[in-house]
Amino acid sequence: MAYQLYRNTTLGNSLQESLDELIQSQQITPQLALQVLLQFDKAINSALAQRVRNRVNFRGSLNTYRFCDNVWTFVLNDVEFREVTELIKVDKVKIVACDGKRFF
Amino acid sequence: MANSANTNTVPKLYRSVIEDVINDVRDIFLDDGVDEQVLMELKTLWENKLMQSRAVDGFHSEEQQLLLQVQQQHQPQQQQHHHHHHHQQAQPQQTVPQQAQTQQVLIPASQQAAAPQVIVPDSKLIQHMNASNMSAAATAATLALPAGQLLQVVRAANGAQYIFQPQQSVVLQQQVIPQMQPGGVQAPVIQQVLAPLPGGISPQTGVIIQPQQILFTGNKTQVIPTTVAAPTPAQAQITATGQQQPQAQPAQQQAPLVLQVDGTGDTSSEEDEDEEEDYDDDEEEDKEKDGAEDGQVEEEPLNSEDDVSDEEGQELFDTENVVVCQYDKIHRSKNKWKFHLKDGIMNLNGRDYIFSKAIGDAEW
Repeated sequence: MAYQLYRNTTLGNSLQESLDELIQSQQITPQLALQVLLQFDKAINSALAQRVRNRVNFRGSLNTYRFCDNVWTFVLNDVEFREVTELIKVDKVKIVACDGKRFF
Repeated sequence: MANSANTNTVPKLYRSVIEDVINDVRDIFLDDGVDEQVLMELKTLWENKLMQSRAVDGFHSEEQQLLLQVQQQHQPQQQQHHHHHHHQQAQPQQTVPQQAQTQQVLIPASQQAAAPQVIVPDSKLIQHMNASNMSAAATAATLALPAGQLLQVVRAANGAQYIFQPQQSVVLQQQVIPQMQPGGVQAPVIQQVLAPLPGGISPQTGVIIQPQQILFTGNKTQVIPTTVAAPTPAQAQITATGQQQPQAQPAQQQAPLVLQVDGTGDTSSEEDEDEEEDYDDDEEEDKEKDGAEDGQVEEEPLNSEDDVSDEEGQELFDTENVVVCQYDKIHRSKNKWKFHLKDGIMNLNGRDYIFSKAIGDAEW
């Protein structure tokens, strides 16, 4: 079982919405949709681990932090994300991070 | 091409993930007895939404769009096309590339073999709507089963309208008629035209997009939108060619059932979609009129007074910038925090970025 963390991303949400539509039109069962999502979790986790190789730095001010059930949630303000190629500035960002060492 | 590093890798990664997932679930689909066609529809829906979200630069799904007959909606064209389709009854899978695609109109492409049709609702529409206005945006998805059963699912971004009626031997055509003009978004009109097959006097169901009233009669359906045209409730057949004029045409005939979905005042988010159900029209309208709308409207000002933080400022881009990732190490020294993160997907200012490692500093 992989983290279900990535379901709330553009990719994950669009998949969930598509599955919902198919469920509503009764083309698939909810059980099947769940299977698809589980498969998606595996695929995205492994793709991120293996197919992505880039680094980002960021700096900002910490507004709130929370550590619960081994999940960190931060809200930062006035953050600059810096990649080799580009700089991205946002007023507020929420970071949700699961433990990277082990699934548990 | 300085900016292209991330913009180049993200779509590719997404495509590869989509491919992997689709291939992996193919077996599951087959085990469940679900047709491969449905799998393809899932893939198409998925890719379309990705494209519409504009968080990624899509490319791959353009082919899928062709298959789905994405059209831009304009009334006359729609009529023509509709007319065309209606007569043919077997809708060829053609793309009708209309003019510039500011809107998407989905027309179900059906094969004559028993193949269900799926219309991809427009999340793009929804997005457009949300971005510019909170006016009612609606997307309709209809499935027309060859057996003649009709399932209609209508989703609206704000007010979801939903009409579901199984029909016998009815040809279902649905169109999404978004009336989006540059610089302004008007409520899209979703029309469903049912043209019963010859010999059938089956009742028709109409789905109306607009947050306005939906007149639902046993035999005829009418839409009474404020800004959108109402399809004329033809009895049988002519609905397809019914006039869809963008202007409000309150053609009210008998109104035994009046469905009102109020989209303009609706503050619920687009997640608030009505599910497919059999409709108890009277109940629904009462409930919706009295309960949801008023309650929400009253609560809104109260809540907003309680809100002290500066949430409003960050709504500019209509996205909450989110990073989902895993942490390697989180360190704190007095009020200085250091973050070591990995394998993350970021959505910043509406766009998607990915990293394998991220290091950050912040002061609390």
